[in-house]
Amino acid sequence: MIELVNVSKTFSDGHKALKNINIKIDNGEFVFLVGPSGAGKSTLIKLLLKEIDPDQGNIIINGKDVTKLKRREIPYLRRNIGVVFQDFRLLQEKTVYENVAFAMEVVEASPKEIRRQVPIILSLVGLSKKSNLYPSQLSGGEQQRVSLARAIVNGPSILIADEPTGNLDPDTAWEVMKSLNEINHRGTTVLMATHAKDIVDAMRKRVIAIENGTIARDDKKGGYGI
Amino acid sequence: MSLASIGSVMAALLVIGIFLILVLNVDYLAAKLESQVEIKVHLVDGLSDTIIGEIRKEIKGLSGVKDCVFVSKDKALKDFSESLGENSYLLEGLEGDNPLSDSFVVTLEDPRLAPQVTLAIKAMSNIENVVYGKEELEKLLDVTYFLRVGSLVIVAILLLISVFIISNTIKLTVYARRREIGIMKYIGATDWFVRGPFFLEGVLLGLIGSIISIGLLATGYYYIARYVEQQMFGLLVISLMPFQEVLKSLTVSLLAFGVVIGSLGSMISIRKFLKV
Repeated sequence: MIELVNVSKTFSDGHKALKNINIKIDNGEFVFLVGPSGAGKSTLIKLLLKEIDPDQGNIIINGKDVTKLKRREIPYLRRNIGVVFQDFRLLQEKTVYENVAFAMEVVEASPKEIRRQVPIILSLVGLSKKSNLYPSQLSGGEQQRVSLARAIVNGPSILIADEPTGNLDPDTAWEVMKSLNEINHRGTTVLMATHAKDIVDAMRKRVIAIENGTIARDDKKGGYGI
Repeated sequence: MSLASIGSVMAALLVIGIFLILVLNVDYLAAKLESQVEIKVHLVDGLSDTIIGEIRKEIKGLSGVKDCVFVSKDKALKDFSESLGENSYLLEGLEGDNPLSDSFVVTLEDPRLAPQVTLAIKAMSNIENVVYGKEELEKLLDVTYFLRVGSLVIVAILLLISVFIISNTIKLTVYARRREIGIMKYIGATDWFVRGPFFLEGVLLGLIGSIISIGLLATGYYYIARYVEQQMFGLLVISLMPFQEVLKSLTVSLLAFGVVIGSLGSMISIRKFLKV
């Protein structure tokens, strides 16, 4: 569960990125975060990952107040939150398999667990046959699905996707959305920031619209809006 | 790249090592000379044995005096002529009319007590004069002090410089892998998990650099010490610190410096990249 209570963030240059935000997202929800560039979507994601701290308010993730976490506790917060980015952020010199396994090595999983878990996750995102290829040999959609696999391989309860289809053409974008939907059906809370109007409209999920640092709209089964 | 940083650590440690050897030898020399500091007490001519015995007792009773040995004027003349060796003929004919005086050689527990003891002896009766290598001793103590402080400052500066060099070299490796580090941090790697490999790299660079510099310095010192011993034996009162002892101190301190430089350098270079 994610809960933001009266959260405000002003950057040092005086830009008010978020103004008194209140959001509550239950376990297993699929939520779109929409709004124009610079409206505060990225700031919100950075706050959830504790890359930055809010000036005011509390952020509660799975019952823990993130704003009160110590620096050395941050890794353990992040192990519970998978992230994918618009630019995939894969390691080019590692194969698909190694990229996913890397995420498990980082959290110090045993080699046995890694050998068992990685193929399961790769088949979930439909990349079993490409596990020995390098990212440069894959399409954008496939690369994004590798990055999805990496984000969920450690079994996080929350998946944050920051414009995951931003670099993809419509067809491959839908492959990624299918995988995201699949992941959500397995019980993972998904929070996806996006500009893709057609996807938001077609999926009929909860939509939170942010404009000028405030919540403009929060629809249970919404569309992108204007 | 790592070769360059091993080279720079080595160079820094080489200079640090030279200063270390210098300090070790000056300390060695100072300790040796300090233990040799003695006060010479010349007595008035023609004193009876009883009076000489009393003076001796009085000197021995002073605090800080370790020993007090009587040297008769005949013995002094003999020693003098022996010290002249082939030129001892210069003193021929003086046996009957010895110009030297009876004296005491006073050794001290602490060379710094010399001025105080000298004053005390001067105050006694039947003393002609009292001498000790006052200026030489004070100069030596001054020199050792300045050398120690000076070397400490220079070693500290060199350590800082080499930490800076190492951190810059490792920064290149870190920079080349900054994407990977960023990804690791997002996945939930602890700081130490990210640091680990760079830390090891730094320690290894430091260790290799220090081993090479120890090898070079030890070899150099071995030959210099041997040369000094062979060529200058007899000409110098002083001698260099034995090779084994220098090697021991050098190995311990340079290895420690190498590890400290390497680990500190890597810590500094990665700090910025951990803040994600």
